[in-house]
Amino acid sequence: MEQLTWMLAGMLRNAARLLPPGRRQWAEAVRAEAGQVPAGWPRLRWLVGGLWLVAGEAKMMRKVVYRLGAGALAAAAAWVVWLSWRTSAAADPQTVTDRVRVLVVAAALVVLPWVGRRRGWFGPAGSSITARLVRLAGCAAVCGLGVAVVRMDSHLGLGPHRPGPFSLPREIAALALLGAALAALTVGKARWPDDPGLWNFLSGFAGVLMFAVVPLQALAIVYVAGILAATSRRSPVANVSLAIGTITGLAAGLAVGLAVYADISDRYTDLLVLGVVAMVFLLAALAGVAAAWLLSGIEDPQELRAARTHQGLLAGSVAGAVCGLLATNFSVGAVVMMVIGPLAGAAGGALGGIVAAEHPRPSRSARSWAAGLFVSH
Amino acid sequence: MSRRAAFSAQALAVLAALAARPSAWRHGYDLARETGLKSGTLYPILVRLADREIVQACWEEGEPAGRPRRHLYRLTSDGLAAATAALAAAPAPATRAARPGRAAVPRRLAGEGS
Repeated sequence: MEQLTWMLAGMLRNAARLLPPGRRQWAEAVRAEAGQVPAGWPRLRWLVGGLWLVAGEAKMMRKVVYRLGAGALAAAAAWVVWLSWRTSAAADPQTVTDRVRVLVVAAALVVLPWVGRRRGWFGPAGSSITARLVRLAGCAAVCGLGVAVVRMDSHLGLGPHRPGPFSLPREIAALALLGAALAALTVGKARWPDDPGLWNFLSGFAGVLMFAVVPLQALAIVYVAGILAATSRRSPVANVSLAIGTITGLAAGLAVGLAVYADISDRYTDLLVLGVVAMVFLLAALAGVAAAWLLSGIEDPQELRAARTHQGLLAGSVAGAVCGLLATNFSVGAVVMMVIGPLAGAAGGALGGIVAAEHPRPSRSARSWAAGLFVSH
Repeated sequence: MSRRAAFSAQALAVLAALAARPSAWRHGYDLARETGLKSGTLYPILVRLADREIVQACWEEGEPAGRPRRHLYRLTSDGLAAATAALAAAPAPATRAARPGRAAVPRRLAGEGS
């Protein structure tokens, strides 16, 4: 027991160095008091409390979780790349092309932790558990895209989801050109900031061009950016909208995933796509209504109406994007849902938000308890 | 302080202990015994209270024989006013007698930090 106490005291002395200089005195204070605490378990518990204090003040849990998360992402990315090299013959140009896609997704995942920590649009992560969970699960789902591509390669020639006629030199050249274009845009925007409208237009144009040339890579990068932006501290997406949108999107994505695997005749494919889009629209509309109704804390009716419409739109977009990402994880053949999903979701969510804004539920501030009875003013 | 703040039951217990003898400097183990709080709970509360300038902290002067110097705490003048207001607003007395062996107050009480 004595040795254990001595060891813990030493640990506390060393752990104090993890704290910023202004905080070290608190760990030293616990250690200084330890001698007054009765020997045995009480003293041991006292020292453990000191270590707990250091862990809390040094934000160690956050650092540990961040490092574990970064390590897990890097490991997942490496695993996907390894899987890609292992599963199929190298001579096939389509396979090699898919490897480039996998590498792009892996690179996006490796830079994620770095981008996500910088203060700005994409980071740091929001303080709510919802934002952190969505960020984590979203990154895992983007990693899953790489696995889906690899899986498609391993079943090359089987089933309806054949890869398109891509060429490796064209993809690499296109990526290099787009990289140069984006770099030129960034430099130009920084050097001549007088006309932001023009630069925004050119950025949008470059984005559309990128999507036309390398759709999966562009989508992966856009989704990564979207996940980070929606879950950052500056995010315009309210916590409740994020939660409702994600849950709705998971349900819709699961349904789409099952539909992709269903044995349906080619004659009904168009009908199936139409049905899926309608389902996403309707579910997103419901999510939009729920997110808009649950919004509170705004007194001005005009502002509240606008905010409800806005949150409805965002919840619907989140639902559509989550649905698209999940469906593509089920099968790369459903990649079109990564575009249609957010669009249908945004439309449905906006409609739901507008409906909720026009038919507001009674505000909580307009109700109160009086003399034990619930009354409405 | 203009911001309304809530004190936890444990923080109220610490404030009550400090407010009982506002001019006296108290040390951590003394407070822990009086409030029944463990060091891992007591010290983070003291850190927050010191950050908000409700509590002032200093090291014991001189070199006492046979033990290290202690870190000492007492309420600031603003802190005394805040503690008095918070304890007055709390629905249950923050004394150990109500629940021996543990912090006596309910798990979370919403008081006003003025």
